[in-house]
Amino acid sequence: MGDMLQDLLPLIWTGAITGCLYAIGALGLVMIFKATRVVNFAHGNMAGLAAFVVYTLTAQGMGLGWALAVVAALGLVVVLALASYGVLAKVSERSDLRGTIGTLGVGLILQGATQVVFGADIVNLDLPVPRWGASVGGLRITSYDVTVLAVTTLVVGTLFVVIERTRLGIAFRAVSTNPFASRVCGLNLVAVQGVAWGVAAALGVIAALLIVPTTFLSSTTVAAFMLQSFAAAVLGGFSSLPGSILGGLVVGIAMNLFSYFVSPELNATFLLVLILVALNVFPGGILPQRGGGSRA
Amino acid sequence: MADALTAEGINLAFGGHRVLTDVSLDFRAGQITGLIGPNGAGKTSLFNCLTGLYQPQQGSIALCGRRIEALPPARRAREGLARSFQHVALCPDLTVAENVMFGRARLGKAGWFDAFLPLPRGRAEAAEARAAAEKVLARLGLSAFSEALPASLPPGTQRMVEIARAIVAEPRVLLLDEPAAGLNAAETRHLTEALRALAAPDLIMVVVEHDMDLIMQVCDRIHVLNFGRRIASGTPAEIRADPEVVRVYLGDPDD
Amino acid sequence: MPDGMSVAEPVAMNVARRSRAWSRDAVLLLALALLPTTLGGFWVYGIGVCMANAMAVLSVSFLLRYGGEVSIGHSFFLALGAYTVAILERQAGVSVAIGLPVAALAGVLLGLGFAWPSRKLSGIYLAVATMALALAVPELILQLGPVAGGYEGLYVAKAPLPGIPLDLQRYYLPLVVLAMAVVLLRRFRHSRQGLALLTARDHPRAAEAFGFSRGFARLAAFAISAGIAAIAGALLAFSASTVSPNSYTLWTAIYLLVGSVISLSGLGLVAALVGGAFITLVPQLLAAWGDWVPILYGFALLVVVILGDRPAETLTKLRGRIGGGRHG
Repeated sequence: MGDMLQDLLPLIWTGAITGCLYAIGALGLVMIFKATRVVNFAHGNMAGLAAFVVYTLTAQGMGLGWALAVVAALGLVVVLALASYGVLAKVSERSDLRGTIGTLGVGLILQGATQVVFGADIVNLDLPVPRWGASVGGLRITSYDVTVLAVTTLVVGTLFVVIERTRLGIAFRAVSTNPFASRVCGLNLVAVQGVAWGVAAALGVIAALLIVPTTFLSSTTVAAFMLQSFAAAVLGGFSSLPGSILGGLVVGIAMNLFSYFVSPELNATFLLVLILVALNVFPGGILPQRGGGSRA
Repeated sequence: MADALTAEGINLAFGGHRVLTDVSLDFRAGQITGLIGPNGAGKTSLFNCLTGLYQPQQGSIALCGRRIEALPPARRAREGLARSFQHVALCPDLTVAENVMFGRARLGKAGWFDAFLPLPRGRAEAAEARAAAEKVLARLGLSAFSEALPASLPPGTQRMVEIARAIVAEPRVLLLDEPAAGLNAAETRHLTEALRALAAPDLIMVVVEHDMDLIMQVCDRIHVLNFGRRIASGTPAEIRADPEVVRVYLGDPDD
Repeated sequence: MPDGMSVAEPVAMNVARRSRAWSRDAVLLLALALLPTTLGGFWVYGIGVCMANAMAVLSVSFLLRYGGEVSIGHSFFLALGAYTVAILERQAGVSVAIGLPVAALAGVLLGLGFAWPSRKLSGIYLAVATMALALAVPELILQLGPVAGGYEGLYVAKAPLPGIPLDLQRYYLPLVVLAMAVVLLRRFRHSRQGLALLTARDHPRAAEAFGFSRGFARLAAFAISAGIAAIAGALLAFSASTVSPNSYTLWTAIYLLVGSVISLSGLGLVAALVGGAFITLVPQLLAAWGDWVPILYGFALLVVVILGDRPAETLTKLRGRIGGGRHG
């Protein structure tokens, strides 16, 4: 029993850490969905491209500092996100279906571009933080963990302050509840939706840069990582920001326990089952929603 | 009441906002009953309770004595309820005749094998459905459009196609949601005549409508709602003479 | 009331177009049936695979057209069909003649099971779930162990009919099944279930008001589509003669969607063949520039999606030309 607990606690801890990153990815998906009713299947491809940009700028003799490289990558994805939004906004207004297909198209293009420009190499991309670790009550906490927690707290905190306290946030909430009403209120729909896409893409990049050090970077890893974010978003009801954070943590911890206790070779299957069970048991998401949003 | 659709003590609220308060009324067979009221009076909400789209928190709905308030819309169709939509809801890929045939689809016994293979039962049934659709279209003067796609037709004609779809399965209750919305004067006149012609001894017809002229000309009885309550019921003449209804519609003289 | 003249003309055109479509399909089928007499083995093999892929594209198009849903998980049902045939041949010694119907049944049942949790929810949840489904396929196949041949996969080499060269059977089976599927789907379009699905796609409330719930429509559309995909997988295994996990990835599923969108999701013979040929031949032709394939496909998706948003006539006109769209 004691052994079990000794295993369990570190598993939950590391699961929660990766869960934070799934949550950041999911936040982006949910923001885009709330603002434009589009499920952005290009989310992972875009973040993957950005990770390669950071890798190239920092590691390959370009010698740019990390901060500068990240800023450049963020700039690139914001431009790409706005372009995607520009192309798909009109399309998705007519039908969600077309919008979804459109994001798959964008995803394919970005995926192909990543392969063409950066090749099919598998590379390592580490965070520019000193490596250390400390033991707290039998739990090993590393500098990576602290970085992830700090970044997540900062990002989520800023996001919620902006959404709850600023004019832009109010506009975002209005648009996501009722695009028509917000237009009547004189809000600039295009600006709000554009900001949502840009911020979402930036969130995706942050999640990608933080997850890559634990695995490695290839043209498909980040897109595959985003499946967890999709699962997190579904768990949260796909239109709840707090729900997607909780969903991210649940997915992170559950995945970690599953691959340790059952099998590390059936991760995608486990996610599939998790998604199907969640849809059945929590059709409205694991958190009760404000205003009784329904998925139907 | 045997041959009627009755609502008893309907209460409906959305998140604390009361929409219907203790509404009781009935719709009798052989009559066309109008449901009217100013904007926001709750007539569309009541209509949606009847069709099963909304679940009232309290109250019962019964068709010929059989309770139906717990049934979802698809099951109410089986009990003999049919309806039209305020915003025309015809399938754009189906021809007019096919849209009308769909109105009978639930009566069919043809299984999945019939759907794909040319088996005798499915063929006979499809032929029967087509004949029924053509008959209803002829009755409403729509035969010329049976092979047209809905989008190529004017709104008034689309509306009539919806009504054809609703009556092709010979329902016990026909619920019409603002049938005159978006129609011009000539189309409304045509609709008025068509509705009168549809009235039958065993058919319960309910019309929710803004157009007062249409209601007064078509209906045998009228229920008036205001602020989620029923304020009057009676013949068109009685309703016209009802002081409260007049006040609601014309406003207080002091206003 | 407007007079009947204004609509009589398009109606006549419709009827004429339909009968033209029939005769065009008949000529096309005849040509395809005669091809092996003039073409070499390589082409016969390639076109056989094209026709199996056409069937796969058909399954995705069916879901788009009748369910209004996007799937990027149909590689699962392809793999299901393919491995059913391959494993039945290996374990029970039976040919695709037995394997194909078993695959179809399995596809329908698993399709129902998969769509069940999201039957009452909006289509986006189904789409997200299909993504997870696609990503699970390779690891599920490997999990089957030696029965499924691991990374190497399995061979499919048993001829369903005696006396006819296997190469020709690998060509004619997909041809016959595809032709049958197109004819059956054309019938389905006029069945009561077909009318119900089409109405439910555009106006779920109208379908409900006439006795067909949203859940029924979702399950029916997905199960039929999954069944078609499983049949396509069975054909693909037989025509390509091998099955292996890396033929059934998320990319396979996304490319199927590309094939479907490129053929404007038509359910006719021409549309299916265009989609099937596109996803079979483009990667072959661009083998040297493999990384450009997703870019090309991505732009193709965007172009169709955006064009479709312009005046609807563009699409209808295109559809009429490619054929089988509306009445497919």
